[in-house]
Amino acid sequence: MNGLWLVARREIVTRGRTKGFIAGLVVSAVLVGAFAFLPKVFDGPDSYAVGVVGSSALQPALTSTAGETEVTTRPFADEAAARKAVLDGDVDAAVVDDRRVLADGEVDRELGALLESAHRTAQTQKQLADAGLDPAKVGQAMQVAPLEQVSVGADTRYAAARTGIATIVVFVLFFLIFQSAMFVAMGVVEEKGSRIVEILLTSIRPWQLLGGKVLGLGVLALANLVVIMVVGLGAAAATGFAVDLPPGMAGIVLGTLFWFLLGYAFFSVLAAALSSLVSRQEEVSSVLTPLQMLVMVSYFVAFFATMEPGTALARVMSLIPPFSSMVMPVRMAGGEVPLWEIGVAAALMLVATAGMLAVGARIYERAVLRTGARVKLTEVVR
Amino acid sequence: MIEIDDLHKRYGDKTALAGVSFSVKPGEMFGFVGANGAGKTTTMRILMGVLTADSGQVRWNGGPLAFADRRRFGYMPEERGLYQKMKVAEQVEYFGRLNGLAPAAARKATADLLERLSLTDRAGDEVGALSLGNQQRVQLAVALVHEPEALVLDEPFSGLDPIAVDALAEVLVERRRAGAPVLFSSHQLDLVERLCDAVGIISAGRMVASGTVGELRAGEGRGVLRVVVREAAPGWTAGLPGDLAANGDEVLFTGVDGDGQEILRAATAAGRVEHFGWERPSLTEIFREAVA
Repeated sequence: MNGLWLVARREIVTRGRTKGFIAGLVVSAVLVGAFAFLPKVFDGPDSYAVGVVGSSALQPALTSTAGETEVTTRPFADEAAARKAVLDGDVDAAVVDDRRVLADGEVDRELGALLESAHRTAQTQKQLADAGLDPAKVGQAMQVAPLEQVSVGADTRYAAARTGIATIVVFVLFFLIFQSAMFVAMGVVEEKGSRIVEILLTSIRPWQLLGGKVLGLGVLALANLVVIMVVGLGAAAATGFAVDLPPGMAGIVLGTLFWFLLGYAFFSVLAAALSSLVSRQEEVSSVLTPLQMLVMVSYFVAFFATMEPGTALARVMSLIPPFSSMVMPVRMAGGEVPLWEIGVAAALMLVATAGMLAVGARIYERAVLRTGARVKLTEVVR
Repeated sequence: MIEIDDLHKRYGDKTALAGVSFSVKPGEMFGFVGANGAGKTTTMRILMGVLTADSGQVRWNGGPLAFADRRRFGYMPEERGLYQKMKVAEQVEYFGRLNGLAPAAARKATADLLERLSLTDRAGDEVGALSLGNQQRVQLAVALVHEPEALVLDEPFSGLDPIAVDALAEVLVERRRAGAPVLFSSHQLDLVERLCDAVGIISAGRMVASGTVGELRAGEGRGVLRVVVREAAPGWTAGLPGDLAANGDEVLFTGVDGDGQEILRAATAAGRVEHFGWERPSLTEIFREAVA
């Protein structure tokens, strides 16, 4: 066991300080952080400045209807001053004498709705008071509880946020699984090609060398994943986007981790087994073609599932290993998935991963010392 | 003691080893020589468990050589392998740890070895940045860091300058003095002759000669008997065994069976014997003859 930890530690220390790993870590974290900020950028402002000419009732009405959006008002002496302020961009709009809204072009849609609603409230109150009703009672009567949204079908309130999260999950899983599998393959060929493996295998067993490598690079990938999650969720919290996150984020995070671990174990052992067949770095990409195909298909189906999570293709592929390792977490992030489907997908993927560990370790063990020409898979599988 | 017993190995229809047997005793330095492709590397790889023999056995101290025993061996493969991107000291220490040294012991052994091999000032450099000769020293450090109980080195001297050769030889002699069997292959026969207690010559997958250097040189039929007789009557050599070549008073007998006492008697009878002795062939001559 000691040998396994030593190998894992070496992988973490030496691979963790390579430019490739650090660049991948920074780029993925920045991209995910930027992605979390994007809704904020496209969302438009959530505070407005409104100029007011000759009205006193609008301000309190605005404050009560604006809710989370912050609206500040600035009084202007006359319409000319307000008009100038609008044109200069000092205020987003100006209301004149409770009759007209001045804006540079069209009034921002959200602000327009807010102003309209506040105006309606203020005028209704004023007219009811003018008709001789007690202003306090009028105010009370106008406190109306808003309608509560209850979906009797699928809950689509968070559809946009869920699609966004699912898209990030696809990207992150694809990037990390593919990168880590490549690291494993390159490491295997480095050792085989330079014959270090001959010295290593007089000291430790093949399963320790393979296991340590997969474990060490897995720890790095997991650290990368955690950094991405922390940055993504942190950015969402910082921008206030977090309030729009769907309930059950913890479940989505845990699910992604779970599926990542299975997908990583499957693909990295496959990468190790395939790359142990060759002795030169130049041969790695050609021997990894089957793996690349599997990862790409998983990626495309998973990407498709972010947009159409409920289709038969996405549902079927989310059950079949190894595609399920990318498609299922995307479906889980993108919408509700029946528990039995998650269970079936997890069970099948666990079985496939265990099988891959057994077969992959066997191929690796038999091929890794056979240097020279590329070893045929049929020679080592039997 | 390392015992190699009747190893056979075929690659496809090519026979690499056809019954190789020899042994290396504790405290013995064994030079393994043979032409390229004769089977040295194959034998050593089988010995280290990197390759499986078709038949035959490798024994260690009387029992089959097991994985746990090999961990206490030091091994230097023919094609050198190191992590190019790893620092020298880190790398040597890593292999020490893999062979069971505790962290502190691995650090200390590494520092000592690098000092002995004049690599201390390169300890923090990546291996890839070193010259080939220095990389070879690191390779040796990797094989020696855990104070192995036996050494198996495939061409350890190739590519080294004379100073590095001396440094390496010194380390090997020290391991031998500590009681470890030391097996190494080499094409530098003068070195083998100088360093080794025993030599094995392999040709086309078979051991064609093995024994101590003295035994090989004194081997039957291998020696040349040089006799110088002054004032001898011509024709005194008639009827004596072996092929002879005369040059004045000097006569060289080759292919003499036995100890040549009859030749000595004939020479004494013929005149004043100034010289009577076996000319021992050099290892190079033995090698040429053995693999011919």
